[in-house]
Amino acid sequence: MKSIAVEIRQLSFAYGNGPVLQKIDLNIASGEWIGIMGPNGGGKTTLLKLLMGFLMPTEGTVSIFGQTPAKARLSIGYVPQVHKTDRDFPITLYELVLLGALSKTNFFGVYPEEVKEKALHLIEKMGLSPHKNKVFGSLSGGLAQRALLARALLSDPDLILLDEPTANIDPPSAAAIYELLASLRGKKTILLVTHDLRAIVEKVDRVLCVQGQVTSFLPKEICEHFALGLYHTPLLGLPSNHFKKGSDALRCVH
Amino acid sequence: MLFDAFIENSFLQMALWASLLASFASGVIGSFVVVKRIAFIAGSIAHSILGGMGFCLWLQRTYEIAWLDPIWGAFAASLASALIVGWMHLNYRQREDAVIAAIWSTGMAVGVIFISLTPGTNVDLLNFLFGNILWIQPRDLLLLAALDGVVLLTAAIFYRKFLALCFDEDQALLQGVSVKRLYLLLLCLVAVSIVILLQVIGTILVIALLTVPATLASLFTHRLHAMMAIAAILCAGFSFFGLSASYLLNWPPGATISLAAAAVYFLVLLLKKIKFSFAKSVRSVPN
Repeated sequence: MKSIAVEIRQLSFAYGNGPVLQKIDLNIASGEWIGIMGPNGGGKTTLLKLLMGFLMPTEGTVSIFGQTPAKARLSIGYVPQVHKTDRDFPITLYELVLLGALSKTNFFGVYPEEVKEKALHLIEKMGLSPHKNKVFGSLSGGLAQRALLARALLSDPDLILLDEPTANIDPPSAAAIYELLASLRGKKTILLVTHDLRAIVEKVDRVLCVQGQVTSFLPKEICEHFALGLYHTPLLGLPSNHFKKGSDALRCVH
Repeated sequence: MLFDAFIENSFLQMALWASLLASFASGVIGSFVVVKRIAFIAGSIAHSILGGMGFCLWLQRTYEIAWLDPIWGAFAASLASALIVGWMHLNYRQREDAVIAAIWSTGMAVGVIFISLTPGTNVDLLNFLFGNILWIQPRDLLLLAALDGVVLLTAAIFYRKFLALCFDEDQALLQGVSVKRLYLLLLCLVAVSIVILLQVIGTILVIALLTVPATLASLFTHRLHAMMAIAAILCAGFSFFGLSASYLLNWPPGATISLAAAAVYFLVLLLKKIKFSFAKSVRSVPN
């Protein structure tokens, strides 16, 4: 039996008087690849921040590999949306990737050689070697997003959280990101926030729809209506043959 | 004539050494201030230290405590302001700018009151506000060098953590960095740097030397350590140019140094704008 990577019990969260998430119960097994979707403002990014311990629940508990999020941080890799980073900041791609192993620096802030070698290996694996010494802000959105993924992977985390990593980036970069994530399937627990329905249907093991509450779907239950923000709440409970099988999983039969 | 003055005039020599020492702090800590976008916080710390200086001056003159130099008041007030502003930033972000403004004005108000209560002439007030680098004594240089050493050593040891803090606090947190403590440490370094620069340029103008050289340097490089080195060189250059202008024109040195920095900054911005417009017009000409 697989161990539990993420355990959420009766979790509620509110910004001031505005509730964002209410009474959520959720288990995620180690090695699962979870797609997270939902409307803007539904609480997807808030959920990720609760998992990392950046926000404290109003009620309930979050456990990551049996620990509190704050204690489990070193086992978490996080890939933010590239447009939320400071693109004017004076930092090279290589320096940025190395920040993914900041905890491994010695007293004088020097990285061990093996960390530097691993960073170079990841940069090469992501097809970023020609851009290693370029300024982060000068990279295209796709290359910058790949660099952020390389940074998240440098410390070899067991839980990887990605916040819309393929939004507004070029197709080759999106493909490179999915390819790398696919190579980690089963070895790492992956939570991918995305609006990319095709990716969700084809790649993930389970889909969480976050809209104040969290509803779990299998990829075959996802239909084209989800792209319109219709998450089929009224249809929940229908037999799974309500949806066409296989590659037509995106097509709803009703 | 100017060269001779720097060779023969011990006041000018002291001033030059002081500005050189201040340039190191300006370059390194100023770069962090610029990339972390905390110039407003640094301004608040710089202005609020007038309270500490005024209080020490009042104690010194009223109770004849000779050793209680106003610089110690500046030192204590700058660190206290840094910690208060930092604490407010970390815990009350919604009202952060208003709180910073309140600390800014409260410190200055306390300083003005104590200086007005202080017996004797109030020429000190102008010197504290706008600086008088020609006041520098050899013992001040030793203090500047010691503070410089503390600032530079701490910045070197924590360089990568400060880099992470300034670029992406979330990533620093995930890597086990105590972001709150590190942020307070950075503000304390800013506070000490302000005390160093205060000797050169005064509380009102100190923000110029803490931000303009680093901002200018950021136009020429995209590496943080290179930005620090260029900013330090620029700060030393502005100080030398400002001191020279002050000597030749008999103007206050703090003002001439600050104006030199601002003039070069606006000139560079203008040149970049012209260069950009020229390149754009060349691109738009049909073949």
